[in-house]
Amino acid sequence: MARQSHPTMSRALQRRENISGYLFLLPSLIFFIGFVVIPMVICIITSLTDANMHDQGMFGNFIGLSNFTKLMGDETFLEALKNTFIIVIVSVPAVCAFSLWVSSAIYKLSGPVLSAFRCIFYLPVVTGSVAVTVVWKWMYDNYTGIFNHVLKGAGIIDQNINWLGDSKYALWCIILILFTTSVGQPIVLYVSALGNVDQTLIEAAEVDGANSFQVFWKVKWAQMMPTTLYILVITTINSFQCFALIQLLTKGGAGTNTVMYHIYWTAFKLTEQAGHFGYANAMGVVLAIFIGLLSALQFKLAKEK
Amino acid sequence: MKKLLAIVLAMAMVMALAACGGKKDEPAPPADDSKQEEPSTPDSQEPAAAGELTLWTYPIGDWGKEEKVKAITDAFTADTGISVKVEYLAYADGDDKVNSAITAKSAPDLIMEGPERLVTNWGDKGYLVDLSDMFDDTDKGEINEAAMAACTHSNGAVYEYPLVITAHCMAINLDAFKAAGADQYLNLDTHTWTTRDFINAVEALYAHFNAPVGAVYCKGQGGDQGTRALVNNLYGGTFATASHDQYTWDDPKNIQALEQLKSMPGIAFDASLEGGDEIKVFYQGILKMAFCWNIAQQLNPNQADTGAGLTANGEEIVFMGFPADGGSPALQGGIWGFGIFNNGDQAKIDNAKTFIKWMCDSEHTVDAVKTANYFAARSAAEGTDLSSIWADNEIMNEYQILMPYLGDYYQVTKGWAGARTEWWTMLQKVGEGADIAETVATYAANANAAAAG
Repeated sequence: MARQSHPTMSRALQRRENISGYLFLLPSLIFFIGFVVIPMVICIITSLTDANMHDQGMFGNFIGLSNFTKLMGDETFLEALKNTFIIVIVSVPAVCAFSLWVSSAIYKLSGPVLSAFRCIFYLPVVTGSVAVTVVWKWMYDNYTGIFNHVLKGAGIIDQNINWLGDSKYALWCIILILFTTSVGQPIVLYVSALGNVDQTLIEAAEVDGANSFQVFWKVKWAQMMPTTLYILVITTINSFQCFALIQLLTKGGAGTNTVMYHIYWTAFKLTEQAGHFGYANAMGVVLAIFIGLLSALQFKLAKEK
Repeated sequence: MKKLLAIVLAMAMVMALAACGGKKDEPAPPADDSKQEEPSTPDSQEPAAAGELTLWTYPIGDWGKEEKVKAITDAFTADTGISVKVEYLAYADGDDKVNSAITAKSAPDLIMEGPERLVTNWGDKGYLVDLSDMFDDTDKGEINEAAMAACTHSNGAVYEYPLVITAHCMAINLDAFKAAGADQYLNLDTHTWTTRDFINAVEALYAHFNAPVGAVYCKGQGGDQGTRALVNNLYGGTFATASHDQYTWDDPKNIQALEQLKSMPGIAFDASLEGGDEIKVFYQGILKMAFCWNIAQQLNPNQADTGAGLTANGEEIVFMGFPADGGSPALQGGIWGFGIFNNGDQAKIDNAKTFIKWMCDSEHTVDAVKTANYFAARSAAEGTDLSSIWADNEIMNEYQILMPYLGDYYQVTKGWAGARTEWWTMLQKVGEGADIAETVATYAANANAAAAG
């Protein structure tokens, strides 16, 4: 009898544990559904409408794919999309490559020195983005910035360069700031990943005659692939969603408008225009599709690797 | 036991979350309280039953400073029994906050700003209360005609009760002008100059300092009245039709002005500056002229409290009208006053009208106007003369010389927010070297398309 009742007891126990597990998940689930899933659904629905702040009701009138058709001919949006892609295409590989290079150089250092390097590179991440941006703004300043001061002092330039006001430079200045604030976390993750690479595999490869490049490429790089994938996806998403830097430095001017900033501007500044919420949400949907596609591509490539 | 504890804890967390979220949906107590109040009539100065109003104000002179505003709202509360909770908005994100509040149906009872927002935007969309019942013939006779017209919607409703007006102008660093020998081009008696004088002065300044001395700032919309006035005045161009139904900044005279400005090495088209940034750089003595200026800046440059009419280095700042072909500029006006959001509570609307009456048309109007540091929008209020309230202030008195140059208040043209965006984006393109006539035509057409809906 005792043997027969044991599986029944186990299932009951399992059920109770499942229930407690789900109850612990419930608070997060409420937040996830309330602040991610529902807004996402609302965004998709309103992107098919002329929703705006002036008409009654949240969803406005259904207008099909008109917002998306209009987007295809909206020069400002297309320019913002182009700028966003430039940021992603330049920033993501640069962040990954630089992080990997720095991590490879520092991960074997002794404890305190390694910690010091980690702190230095992680500091811009934990410092408030507004504070970081304000300091960069001072440095880039057309009239009193240190960059112009140094370059003029060294005789490299005659007239001040308007770093944030000239479309030849502004986007690259934004990318540089984004780069410095983005490398901290990948460096910490890569240092950790490099430290966790199985030493026996490295030793085996070396015994088999592999040189250092082969050890790195065939053993270490392969074992770090999950970390790399995570870094790629996170950096891509962060780059696509670049907003605060634009808002604080250029307000989308001088060729730095991005899709995120244009969404904000359309939704909250151009409130006199008909259907501004619906149109802004359509931009959000397009941006989400691009992020999804690029992330899927990264997952696929990493899997093949 | 552990599982029971876990379940209890989880339930407690969920209930706590639900409780936290639930508070947002509770009706605000003041709204209920206000229903108990006796509604006060707009003309009444009798203390009303206790009530609370919320006022959101943009930084209009010292109406953006808590200590100054508190003094006057405390006096109002002592007089009427109605308390006022003030929130201070910045121009950078004030519109976002108001629009979000409107969307969330939590707009304030009162708002202080100008007709471009109160009449053209929120009034036009039906969010504000029509205040036309607050104006009798005496009021209409006392209030500046142009201000009254700007506060009145084309449908006849009045969405703003004007309190103060001023003329926006530009400023020059007199010491720098003297050092460059450019002061000969200024008429310091009339505070005006011609387009030729301006061009000569910029050339002299550039030759002396070998760097741009003025900036056509175009990072955003902040202070864009300055760049509009500069371009419009140089050769007598216009920005919008007199009937305020179409933008006319593709006027050949404006194109001529932009071509002139672009050709001057002493003038930079600077997309890294807005009006406030330009004031700061001028105050630091780097730029020798500022196009974003008015009496509030003259009294307290850069809001730095380092002395009226002085830069950070102690150099003398002189306010000037914008250069114009005949030397007689059409200046952009600033008209500020109060509007009432229609939140569906008549008692609150009545209290808000009492507030407006107290501030804009009573013996207390002197204090309300002086708090703004601008000029009264009316000549008298309930028998109190307002025309000489600045008699004891030399700078304010001198500044009044510009008031007759007030031009058309075209900021009430439909589609104003979109048009402003088109304006500064256009200036950026011109600054980058795009074909001026083509660029101006494109962006003016965009503005008109947006205005047409």
